[in-house]
Amino acid sequence: MDAERDKAPKPAAPDKAESFQSRKARLRASFLSQLPGRLADARRAVAELRAGEIEHARLDALYVLFHTLKGSGATFGFRQIGDAARTAEQAVRRAMDSGGHVEPTLPAELACLLDDLDALALAADVQADPDTAPGFELPGPQSRPEPAPGQAPDAHPGQPADRSQRMVYLCDDDPDLAAQLAGQLGCFGYRVRAFTTLADLRTAVESERPAAIILDIVFPEDENAGPKMLAELRSAEQETIPCIFISCRDDFEGRLQAVRAGGSAYCTKPIKTVELLEFLDALTNPHPPEPINVLVVDDDRELAQFHATVLEEAGMVAKAVSNPEQVLSLLDTFDADLVLMDMYMPDCSGPELSRILRQIPGHVSLPIIYVSSETDVERQHKALAVGADGFLTKPIEPARLVAEVALRAERMRILHSLMVRDGLTGLFNHNAIMQFLEVAVANARRGGTSLCFAMIDVDHFKSVNDTYGHPTGDQVLMALSRTLRMRLREDDLVGRYGGEEFAVVLNGAGVEPAKRILDALRTSFSNVTFFSDGQEFHCTFSVGVSDFPTFATPDALTEAADRALYRAKKGGRNRVEIATEQDALPEQSPDSAETSDGS
Amino acid sequence: MRILIVDDDPFAGAMAEAILDAEGHDCKLVESGVEALDALGEEHERFELVISDMHMPLSSGLDLFREMRDRGIPIPFVLLTGDDPEPLREQVPGLAACLTKDASLEVTLPAAVAGL
Repeated sequence: MDAERDKAPKPAAPDKAESFQSRKARLRASFLSQLPGRLADARRAVAELRAGEIEHARLDALYVLFHTLKGSGATFGFRQIGDAARTAEQAVRRAMDSGGHVEPTLPAELACLLDDLDALALAADVQADPDTAPGFELPGPQSRPEPAPGQAPDAHPGQPADRSQRMVYLCDDDPDLAAQLAGQLGCFGYRVRAFTTLADLRTAVESERPAAIILDIVFPEDENAGPKMLAELRSAEQETIPCIFISCRDDFEGRLQAVRAGGSAYCTKPIKTVELLEFLDALTNPHPPEPINVLVVDDDRELAQFHATVLEEAGMVAKAVSNPEQVLSLLDTFDADLVLMDMYMPDCSGPELSRILRQIPGHVSLPIIYVSSETDVERQHKALAVGADGFLTKPIEPARLVAEVALRAERMRILHSLMVRDGLTGLFNHNAIMQFLEVAVANARRGGTSLCFAMIDVDHFKSVNDTYGHPTGDQVLMALSRTLRMRLREDDLVGRYGGEEFAVVLNGAGVEPAKRILDALRTSFSNVTFFSDGQEFHCTFSVGVSDFPTFATPDALTEAADRALYRAKKGGRNRVEIATEQDALPEQSPDSAETSDGS
Repeated sequence: MRILIVDDDPFAGAMAEAILDAEGHDCKLVESGVEALDALGEEHERFELVISDMHMPLSSGLDLFREMRDRGIPIPFVLLTGDDPEPLREQVPGLAACLTKDASLEVTLPAAVAGL
């Protein structure tokens, strides 16, 4: 052993000065933070088991998973986790010993054990070193909202909107930063392995290919060591591994090296976790991305249809309209990533239509590309000056059309996703959630379905901040946002409305199920134990709910939910109130300032 | 003592490392038998003890132990297992120790190493 840096600091960088107890506590904590990921892996493998078939490979994988869990669970003193993993391991072993035959009961048996393990993981997390840091954990899954009998489509299973537990390698020579980032990304569902030397990273990549690498630029050995390592890895690998560079260097040279080495993104330190997550999500997403939506406007109906067909063949969703007047109403329901428009149309020219769109706040950033036979550069420039993004000259090669549209739409999507997220919680920000509410209301009206809008406000949040400090207050907000994201369906929308207020759009839900869901969330959040400076405390929240069609517009929904929330606060907090038609009327109460007054 | 730790589970490995570091030992952690053989390489004198997990994908701790002996590497070998260690103790002569991977490792591992 020649030097400290030769050590493989996984999962947390060892620090020789640290006492064994605190090191153990840290290892336990990081074991627990990775546990949900491992269990999700197991769940996926179990879901893939086909009853009655011979499944050698899947059983082998499950065996290793449970066996490892048994070993490390027991090593860290989580006896029950170790025991449950052992039972699962033995069940898999029996199947392996019977020639790899999957008994019809095996998947259900394993799923049941995984439920136990999930609950144990959450319970164990609460106990994990309460003294070292403010922490939080959610109560076990047994308190998930139970779907009422016969109400399957409305049931909100505890489906975490996770990152599918993808494996990410992180390499930074600063062990503290590496451990901290790994922990944070772990909270958002990634499995992260942190390394402090490039040699360790290379060894790991050679043995198991990660979904992405997060790599520092500067290392002690070389100020461009990160990019050099990536270039080296790239030359050895068949497929390229997406890489995000993180660096305190914000100079051109550093960025150039990163781009030349093939880096997909570049984040400067201090790292904004949410920004990093956006890139990671985009780079590691195993699902094909949402198809690009394009609106094609051309008074020549056939040409509009032709362009739309070309784009559709490239996997996009295209809508063709020949009448510019239809564009605005179409955009209300069709979430276009880009508008392709003819420059010369008889009733309304392309530049005129662009100007109209640019005067509507929701469409300021919508990319617009003109299509025209105009070859006069002067006139092209003029047309672009009103706020369009590009110019394609007819006739257009189909391949070029697809490339131009895809390029602009994708870039705008990335920009958009960075703009709509709240920095602390990763939820949609105020503007975004309000825009989504508008779209959701329009969809509900068109489809004749219902939806609920809930405003959630943490009770006595100001006193949490005053008593325990803002970092602890932030932990409470993150815990609540995590509760909401984990427990709601993927097509429900969750946003941070502001401060300690959150907004949720429950698509397709009526008042009754919405109340049931929110009450379950409220109960489980009130059971969350928070830790700060060794002290334990609990938090609650109040909710106001309004529904469409009782309230017909986004404004009416938010106002009514706000009034219902006020009633919930006034009625003693920690409760869900449903907005009734009276809530539509402006309230005369003079003391209506109370809700915003640190409650 | 200079110790090579072999465990495919980075958490269990790091835990063993932490336990032994606390006793003042100098540890290196690798994740597979192949990496262990690499680390032992030409000059296995760098290590005075190998501690390996039993069950690892590809090659087990037992495979590693046998491979080392085949290569004439005589370093003492401690096997860690999540299962009952008794059958292994009986089947495999020549192990310095065979210990159960659980919370008691904090005590049994330093004791076994100190007894060498």
